[in-house]
Amino acid sequence: MSTTLVDSPAPPRQEIRHRRRPPYLPWLLLSATMILLGVLTGYPVLRLVVMSFQEYERAQLMGQPAAWVGLDNYAEVLTDVEGFWVVLGRSFLLMVFLVVTTLVLGMLVALLMMRVGKALRLLVSVGLLLAWAMPALSATTVWGWVFDTQYGVVNNLLTRITGDDWFGHSWLLNPLSFFLILSFIVVWGAVPFVAFTLYAGLTQIPEEVMEAAQLDGASAFQRFRLIQVPYVRSIITVLVVLSMIWDLKLFTQVFVLQDIGGDRELTNTIGVYIYQTGMAQGHYGLASAVGVIFVAVMLAIAYPYVRRTLREEEL
Amino acid sequence: MNRNRLVGAAASAITLTLALSACGNAGGAASSPEETGPGEVRVWLVGSDTPQDARDYLKETFEEENPGSTLTIEEQAWDGLVDKYTTALSGSDAPDVVEIGNTQAAAFTSSGYFREITAEEFETLGGDDLLPGFVEAGDWEGKHYALPYYSGSRVVFYSDQVLGDTPVPTTLDEYVETAVDLRTKDLSGVYWPGQDWYNALPFIWENGGFVAEQAEDGTWEAGFSSEGGLKGLEQIQTIMTEGNNAPADTNETDLQVPFCEGQVAFLSAPSWIQWSINAPEEPETPDGVPGCASTYGSDLEAFALPGKDGGAAQVFAGGSNIAVAQKSARPDLAMSALEILLSDEYQTILAENGLFPAKTSLFEGVDQSTSIGAAAAEAAANAKLTPASPKWADVESQMILQTAFSKIASGEDVKAVAEKLDADIEEILNS
Repeated sequence: MSTTLVDSPAPPRQEIRHRRRPPYLPWLLLSATMILLGVLTGYPVLRLVVMSFQEYERAQLMGQPAAWVGLDNYAEVLTDVEGFWVVLGRSFLLMVFLVVTTLVLGMLVALLMMRVGKALRLLVSVGLLLAWAMPALSATTVWGWVFDTQYGVVNNLLTRITGDDWFGHSWLLNPLSFFLILSFIVVWGAVPFVAFTLYAGLTQIPEEVMEAAQLDGASAFQRFRLIQVPYVRSIITVLVVLSMIWDLKLFTQVFVLQDIGGDRELTNTIGVYIYQTGMAQGHYGLASAVGVIFVAVMLAIAYPYVRRTLREEEL
Repeated sequence: MNRNRLVGAAASAITLTLALSACGNAGGAASSPEETGPGEVRVWLVGSDTPQDARDYLKETFEEENPGSTLTIEEQAWDGLVDKYTTALSGSDAPDVVEIGNTQAAAFTSSGYFREITAEEFETLGGDDLLPGFVEAGDWEGKHYALPYYSGSRVVFYSDQVLGDTPVPTTLDEYVETAVDLRTKDLSGVYWPGQDWYNALPFIWENGGFVAEQAEDGTWEAGFSSEGGLKGLEQIQTIMTEGNNAPADTNETDLQVPFCEGQVAFLSAPSWIQWSINAPEEPETPDGVPGCASTYGSDLEAFALPGKDGGAAQVFAGGSNIAVAQKSARPDLAMSALEILLSDEYQTILAENGLFPAKTSLFEGVDQSTSIGAAAAEAAANAKLTPASPKWADVESQMILQTAFSKIASGEDVKAVAEKLDADIEEILNS
């Protein structure tokens, strides 16, 4: 604590007992939220963990008792190379591609919004908001129509432009083509958030710094790399972590697109895989095990970034 | 300072109370166990197979026989039905009577999702008169759970305007050849979407193959890569790649669309598609689907898929079963609805609309004077079911067959696809 100028041989017993009232008010205010969160989020997570140690099939939903199988479910999942590991690997690759594309495009759009005039900026903002507000299910369905094999707009346009007959060209049959379409849809829906957030962050940078750099002879790219990016680095970190988590647990778009066409087995990502194992096939115990493993993976991804951000804030 | 704290504490107490009471009320609508008296019954019918006349009859008759009670029909989609039923039937808000595909019934009867129909009730509802194959599909361990609702096999539709002078094929090989000959850039000989596996089964069966058989010790063996299976698959690939313009990765919904554009010579579809094709171009109801009653629907004809040596081929026995949910809130009213659904009058309405009723005695109610009716009767007489395993519903819901046939439609090696398909099916059936 504080050092006194006079160093006494023994520390004086000055402990005045400060009876501070235990802070009850913050806990009271938090209690409503905590109860709601506990019921809505905590209980399902608890059920998930418990179920991952049981053999839970359709019959158990109707009341039959569930047998405890210990780590059997986990063993089965972790040794399932063709199923679980391939899907996990595929989801990771997809996630990397999506995050990089979303951030690059989002940054470009944010920079664009800084350069253009007010009217055009408003137009871009409205467009971005509409894309962001559209529910994933409707968006994927409409995109599916656009790329429809027989009656789609894209095939029609390509036929007119290139002269070759694109009618009947299936965009979803080939897995790589499937993921290309999926990327269109996901990036289209994810860029608005990234763009708005980065725009907000970039506009905070004081003009004088940028002007000074320009006067010193820095090129646009150097200014971007050496001034703008460091200024918004914490924002970029948050966006990267959020995007990684969202893109890894992607479900709606993949599920709906698989319904429209394509090979399920070759295009499953981890979210759809959990659904297929659990709801579609009725192996709830196995699906819970996959779910728990997935949560662990995502925590592992998020942990270093969160820790770094917390440390930076303390400084 | 103290007053602020007091205000703060009061505010938080009020918020807490409001939040908790909101939670409390939401869960407060508990359903009390009912035995008698008027109530509400929900019937889930799937797809558009059940004609409107039948639905009206059901509702009116039920409300007459049970004064004060109401019956609501909720239509479900075939896609994702198994997942939907798993969650709905095991929850607290289960429907009362549900229609289930005959191939999917085993998944639910084996897990206790349906209420058992006792032997006496079974006799009252029809007993031996009910379609035997379908009764089997709805039984589990000797008890009845799901009863037959209707059956309808696939027939091959055509319009003379499109077919012209080409003669109708009389054997399966002729069928394949005609399809390949007729195909042009705009016209499909046979319109066969890649994911349609129902139409593939006759080719497997007619060539001596099988889908899956259970050995003495209970293990299942799949037969797509057997000799007969491979021959059938090769014929299928010939049609799909050389006689067909349909995309390789779409399924068999809305088949009336290309037919009504005149792009199809032969359309192999369930007999009730005649209503979709013969719907007026301007639908009468806002959500009606337009058809082509005045063009290709006007001279719509059909024949039963020809067998290897003439006659009718063995086709897939399409159709549905009907069951009462175990968790139904009013099983007594649900059974009353079930009685109406299986009554002679209701089944006759189904028969008049081209569906084959659940009771064999009512078969003559199906109008066999048209070529469509006659073809449907011929096909139904030769219909076969998919393997009787509770895990078959998993094979269907995992889209294994659809994926395999998409690959065949894309021209991949038949033997490789067949062997993988067999391995996948065996893995699920034997799990």
